[in-house]
Amino acid sequence: MEKVKNANKVSEQRSLWEDTWRRFKKNKMAMIGLYFMIILVIIAFATIVIDIATGQSFYNQHIIKQDLRRRLEGPSPGHIFGLDEFGRDVLMRMLWGTRYSLFMGTIAIVLSCIVGGVLGAVSGFYGKVTDNVIMRLMDILLAIPSMLLAIAIVASLGTSLINVLIAIAVSLIPRFARTVRASVLTVKDQEFIEAARAIGCSDFRIILKYIIPNSLSPLIVQFTLGIASAILSIAGLSFLGLGIQPPTPEWGAMLSNARTYIRDAWHVTAIPGLGIMFTILALNLVGDGLRDALDPRLKN
Amino acid sequence: MGNLLDIKDLTIYYETDDGIVQALNGVNLKLGVGETLGLVGETGAGKTTLARGIMGLVPNPPGKIVGGQVLYEGKDLTKLTNMEMQKIRGQHISMIFQDPMTSLNPVLTVGEQIMEVIINHNKITKANARTLAEDMLERVGIPKERYDEYPHQFSGGMKQRVVIAIALACNPKILIADEPTTALDVTIQAQVLDMIYKLKSENNTSMLLITHDLGVVAQNCDYVAIIYAGEIVEYGSLKEIYKETKHPYTEGLFGSIPSLTVNVNRLQAIVGIMPDPTKLPKGCKFYDRCKYSKPICAEKLPDMVQLSETHKVRCILYQ
Amino acid sequence: MIENDELLKVEHLKKYFDTPSGLLHAVDDMNFSIKKGETLGVVGESGCGKSTMGRAILRLHEPTSGKVLYKGEDIIQYNKVQMKNMRKKMQIIFQDPFASLNPRMTVSEAIIEPLMVQGIFLKSDKKGLNAQVDKVMELVGLAKRLINTYPHELDGGRRQRIGIARALAVNPEFIVCDEPVSALDVSIQAQILNLMQDLQDELNLTYMFITHDLSVVKHFANDIAVMYLGQMVEKAPSKKLFENPVHPYTKALLSAIPVPDPDYKMDRIFLKGEITSPINPKPGCRFSKRCLYATESCIGGDIATKEVEPGHFVNCVLA
Repeated sequence: MEKVKNANKVSEQRSLWEDTWRRFKKNKMAMIGLYFMIILVIIAFATIVIDIATGQSFYNQHIIKQDLRRRLEGPSPGHIFGLDEFGRDVLMRMLWGTRYSLFMGTIAIVLSCIVGGVLGAVSGFYGKVTDNVIMRLMDILLAIPSMLLAIAIVASLGTSLINVLIAIAVSLIPRFARTVRASVLTVKDQEFIEAARAIGCSDFRIILKYIIPNSLSPLIVQFTLGIASAILSIAGLSFLGLGIQPPTPEWGAMLSNARTYIRDAWHVTAIPGLGIMFTILALNLVGDGLRDALDPRLKN
Repeated sequence: MGNLLDIKDLTIYYETDDGIVQALNGVNLKLGVGETLGLVGETGAGKTTLARGIMGLVPNPPGKIVGGQVLYEGKDLTKLTNMEMQKIRGQHISMIFQDPMTSLNPVLTVGEQIMEVIINHNKITKANARTLAEDMLERVGIPKERYDEYPHQFSGGMKQRVVIAIALACNPKILIADEPTTALDVTIQAQVLDMIYKLKSENNTSMLLITHDLGVVAQNCDYVAIIYAGEIVEYGSLKEIYKETKHPYTEGLFGSIPSLTVNVNRLQAIVGIMPDPTKLPKGCKFYDRCKYSKPICAEKLPDMVQLSETHKVRCILYQ
Repeated sequence: MIENDELLKVEHLKKYFDTPSGLLHAVDDMNFSIKKGETLGVVGESGCGKSTMGRAILRLHEPTSGKVLYKGEDIIQYNKVQMKNMRKKMQIIFQDPFASLNPRMTVSEAIIEPLMVQGIFLKSDKKGLNAQVDKVMELVGLAKRLINTYPHELDGGRRQRIGIARALAVNPEFIVCDEPVSALDVSIQAQILNLMQDLQDELNLTYMFITHDLSVVKHFANDIAVMYLGQMVEKAPSKKLFENPVHPYTKALLSAIPVPDPDYKMDRIFLKGEITSPINPKPGCRFSKRCLYATESCIGGDIATKEVEPGHFVNCVLA
């Protein structure tokens, strides 16, 4: 056998993920977004730990307990974001509210992604009648404004946390189904899929091992942007009184309840509003950064 | 061998994330009036970079002309502004690319695309330009009645003819053809090459024919330059390159190609692959694949040796 | 009747595609056989159906009608399970070394895949799997250190070796090679062709070698079949095809190939016009529209196959 004399690229075995991460790191705005999200995640976990450690007493003392004498107090050295309409510290409530926006947003999206992803993959792979039926179902879902759909589901099932999650997940399924279907259609006709058939791979194996791993890029981007959407939806539902119920410190609910005081106490509306805004912004920056990082996509 | 085009020491690098790609390393070439020069090399050798360098089409960033000159009728093209280059492109120096499928604008008719280049470089009325464009279509073997048809209505070979019509519409002095027939079937390739040759002879156009196909070169070129890892390793007349091959790489290339006329049981392949252009070795770039290499080859880049008036080679064996 | 050393016999193989404009006759009534350990070259230009036929034989496209007899048994009649089993014996190497590899699988994962899918080794048998991977990588000349590299980190030649390794992993007897070197540089082509020849000798493989480049199969193939628009126009032992081509298309094809020898006088046979459509073709010879010698009898009905010398078959009224 002919031997190759020059040693070539031994130590630089880079997987496509590492390449993507490298490109992502170069994008300053995307990294800022990422750091922000990491901070939020740390805050969310920290508050959960504190709750478990203090057995809800801290929660009851600082988040729920009302102090009506001091309602609507503006920002001061002791309370940097001031107090809300029930005299509760706004900063504390913001910190404790992080988990709802973040985790609920993520869980809703994960549900949506799995269901939508499977539907999209099956639709794209098998085509013809299957594709038609599934896509028309998706069209029906898309035809209903997502907020209305979410409201309808919550109104009929009741206003528990789970129902809110389901409502949001359902409204976002078509987005994922379409994205995955488009990817699958592109990948399906590539030669390495044919090669897999030539080896004797079953359809299931091909979808799982060949098609889905190569269709992830657009899906990941949709995922991050989807969390932003979900957070907005949760906030919106709470704003309408259909989501999280008081006194739970969810940002959207906080925003809603402070509406009446907008002229007297700007901080009670502005702070939750800004919180939501920056989170969405951060997620969008990360999502855009990912899209750019994944896009050179195997360019040699 | 007069000097219509004189490339001196052209060096072009690309600055990428993976390092500096040394695409061209001191290339020297001359092209005379009415001559066809074949530039032979494999992927990554720098052929397309050279073509782009001449046309002023090296994308910047990441590409940069680090040194050297491209003298056309005495003027250094590398020093011209983009506006000045636009006057040169299409009118004095034209280029045709490899893939006819993507070279043509799908939303313009073929006639309009030919007319466009005529109007860009000549102050004439649209009606006159159209007549000239129709003539050009006929000259490349397409009936002028097809002037108003769109590229997708033509086959690959015919599209390439349109591309050639566009390139030659203003009667340029130099035609750069970058693998013009690689994407075409062999019977169509024969037709297209013949047509290029005929048109070129009518106007005494010089041609730089870039290809990896030594058969195409043999049937179409007067002189041949072999390029490897951004350097010209051998240059000579057709006869000298094919019958008096000197450089080990050229020899290796001939050994690698299956031939219709010679019976072999096994091909004489060259071992290894071209070096990474971001990590070019000092010394001779062909060193690690060369049958005749000596230790000194890795240390010092050999100079070009003039073997005859037209034959040059860059190899220690001839110094 | 099947002779004892015939590995594959194809009878009246047809593959048609339904298109909005009509029925596309991609492969029309192909008949041939390949002996064990030999190579059949299948040659033709784009649109002749050679790639479709290669895939139809492996049932990657389901044939419309006809028989594919592997060691006497018609595999078209096999059910899913039987066909999956056959895939241990019949494999394929693709043209594009990049598109045919899963970008998310490393070299070793790509080679292990067929072993696991075919149940040759259990997932838990790491030793057995790794041993086979090592063995196959050595066979194709891939360095062991490349085990965990991804296709995008390697050059075309190495990627093609991975494709070959993947095909060899299951110890097949028959391999369809669909233009395996067309996408590679000349010097790498020679390496891969030599490799495939060596593998054939070592492992007693039988190849169906599909290519558009006649010269590539000249020294390699035992027999060569020339296709045009889904039909076989000529089939002969390799030497005889080059020495004594009979069909006008074969002659034109041979004459169009540029020979890398400037002294060689090309006796060009020019074909009229362009390739006709394979959709709803009229009965008779599909080459007649472009043939210089076409007569009335060419477009009547099916053209009979004539054996002009032992083993040399031609589908032409002039033979």
